[in-house]
Amino acid sequence: MISETLALTGRALRKWIRNPAAVLPGFFIALFYVALLGSSFNPTKVVPPGTPPQIANAILAQTFGGAPNYITYLTPGVICIILVFNMAFGGIDLVLDRQLGYLGTLLTAPIPRSAIYLSGVAQNLAKVLLLAVLTFLVALAIPNGLELPGTFNIIDFLGVFLGFTLLGLGLSFVFTALALAVRSIDSLVAIVNFLTLPMTFTSNTFFPLDVFPDWLKSVAEVNPITKANEAARLLVVNGTLSAAQTTTYAYDILYLVAFTAALGILGYLAARRALRPE
Amino acid sequence: MSKIIEAEGLTKVYKGKVKAVDHISFSVNEGEVFGFLGPNGAGKTTTIKMLNTLASITEGRASVAGYDVMRSPGDVRDSIGVVPQEFTADDELSGLENMVLMARLHHIRIGTAKSKSKDLMQLVDLSDAANRKVRTYSGGMRRRLQLVMGLLHEPKVLFLDEPTLGLDVQTRSKMWDYIKGLNRNRGLTVFMTTHYLEEADSLCDRVAIIDRGTIKVSGSPAQLKETVGGDIVTITLSDGTEDLTGFFETIEGVKEVTRTGSVYRIKLPKTEKSLPAIVEGLVRKQLQIKEISFTKPTLDQVFLEVTGKSMRDEGAPTTDSGWENIKMQRVSGN
Repeated sequence: MISETLALTGRALRKWIRNPAAVLPGFFIALFYVALLGSSFNPTKVVPPGTPPQIANAILAQTFGGAPNYITYLTPGVICIILVFNMAFGGIDLVLDRQLGYLGTLLTAPIPRSAIYLSGVAQNLAKVLLLAVLTFLVALAIPNGLELPGTFNIIDFLGVFLGFTLLGLGLSFVFTALALAVRSIDSLVAIVNFLTLPMTFTSNTFFPLDVFPDWLKSVAEVNPITKANEAARLLVVNGTLSAAQTTTYAYDILYLVAFTAALGILGYLAARRALRPE
Repeated sequence: MSKIIEAEGLTKVYKGKVKAVDHISFSVNEGEVFGFLGPNGAGKTTTIKMLNTLASITEGRASVAGYDVMRSPGDVRDSIGVVPQEFTADDELSGLENMVLMARLHHIRIGTAKSKSKDLMQLVDLSDAANRKVRTYSGGMRRRLQLVMGLLHEPKVLFLDEPTLGLDVQTRSKMWDYIKGLNRNRGLTVFMTTHYLEEADSLCDRVAIIDRGTIKVSGSPAQLKETVGGDIVTITLSDGTEDLTGFFETIEGVKEVTRTGSVYRIKLPKTEKSLPAIVEGLVRKQLQIKEISFTKPTLDQVFLEVTGKSMRDEGAPTTDSGWENIKMQRVSGN
C-alpha cells in the first residue's frame, strides 16, 4: 500500500510543481494577506495619544498576546487561511481525475482503495505545507513584518509547524474524502465555500478571542484553527515558553491530535464509501 | 478451449430504475477476440464495468480468469488490463512517465518498469514520443499509449472499450493491426466493445450483438452473416415496365426478390451458381441490363435482422464530435 501511495502522491506533486499557475496563486494570496492586511492595522494607533508608554504597552500586550506588531500576530492566522483554503480546493484535481476517467483506471488496477485515498491526503497536505512554510518566510522577509524573539530556534519553528501539520492533516482527511465523493467541481466549490469562511471567521485568525462577544467566543474556543493559531503564536511571540504556556501549548497539540484522529476515521469511512463500485 | 470470461444472467439496474443490462449470459474462450457490438446506450460499457469490478452486479454472476467478480475483485484486477473509452493518460506527464507510474501501480520494480515500458512503447511506435508530454499527443497516439498502459503487467484478458473511437480510418486500421498482433503473438484474450460494425467484422473471432441491455444474437461474424441468408444482388434494367419478380423467383437458388421500378434486389445463398442463370434468362428474354452489383452480407444486415433497425440509423455520433467532447473536457479541466 505504501509504494502505491508514494507513486500516486509523486505523480500529483510532480504535476503541481511543473505547473507554476497552480503554485503561484497560493503564494500571492499569502503575500497579500501578510503584506497588505497585516500592514493595514497598526495597533499602536488604537491607544489614545498621551497614554503613558507603560500602560500603552500593557494594553497592546493584552490585545495581541504581546506580539510586537499586527503582522506577527496575523502570520499564524494567514498560514491557517492558506491551509484551509488550499486544502479545500486541492480536491479539484481529484474531482478532475474522476471526471476524466483517471480514477477509473486506478480502480481497475490491483491497488488498495486506501492507497488512492491516502495519496490524496498526502498530496494535499504536502502542497499546503509547502505554501505554509513559504508564507512564514515571506512574513519574515518583508520590512516591519514577522518579528521573532531572539531565542527563536529551529525547534520552535518545528513546534510552530507541528500544530499546523496536525490541522492540515485533519482537514486533508475530510476534504480529500469530500473530493472523492462529489461528482462535479461545482458541488465541491459550493460545499467548500460554505465550510471554509465560517471555519475561519469563528477562530482567532484575525482578532484575539478576548474581543469576541461571548456566544462567538464559545464557538471559537473549540475551533481547531484557534488551537493551531494559539500554539503557533505562543512560540512566535515568546520563543521560550513558561510552564503555564507549555501546558497551554501541550493542551492545544493534544486537542489537534484528537481532532485529526477523529477526522481520519470519518474521512476513511467516507472515502471507502465513495470508492465503492457504482 | 477453456472459458476465461463467463457471465450468467448478468443484470445491472442503476438507482433502482434504469435497467442498463438485462440478464445477459455469454462466455469468452481463452485466446479469442470477443466483440460486444451495439449502438450507444446498448449496455456495452456497463457490461465492461461490471466485468472490471468498477460497477456492482445487481443480479446474476460473472467470473474473469477463474475469479468471481464480486467475491474476488482483487484477483480479477490482477488478471486484467483495462483500456477505457476516455483518454485517461495524464496530460502533464510524459508518455514514459505515465507508463512507469502504471507499472509501479501494478507492483513492477522501477528498473524493470522502465525497460518494459520502453519495449511496449516501441511495439506501438511511440518510442520517439516517449519523453514528450501526453498533451502534445494526437488522438491516435493517446489510444496507442493507453493500449500498452493496459499491458504492462501481462494481463490474461485485455478489455478495450471502443478502442478506435474518434480515430480516422487509417489510424483505426493501424490500431486493428496492433490488437491483432497482441492477440496472435501473445495469445492475449481481448474483450472489446465497439459500435463500428466493420471493426467487429475485421477483428473479432466472435461477437455478441447487444441492444437495449439484452444480447440479441452471438457467434462468429461469418456465422452471423450466414444467417442473413446470402448475398444481395441488385439488378437495374433499362426498361422497368414489365414486372419480372415471378421470373426471378423461378430461378434455382433465389430466395427473396424485391422490386422498386426497374431495380430488383435478389437474395442469393450461392451467388456463383445462381447469377449466371439469372443473366442468361435476362439475355434470352432480350432485356437490357443497365447495372448489376452484389454485396456480401454485412454485420449491419445482421443487426437489422435481429433488432429491426439499422445500426447506422441509431445516431451513432460522428467520430469527430466524440473526440471533440473528450478534448473539450480536458481543456476546460486544465
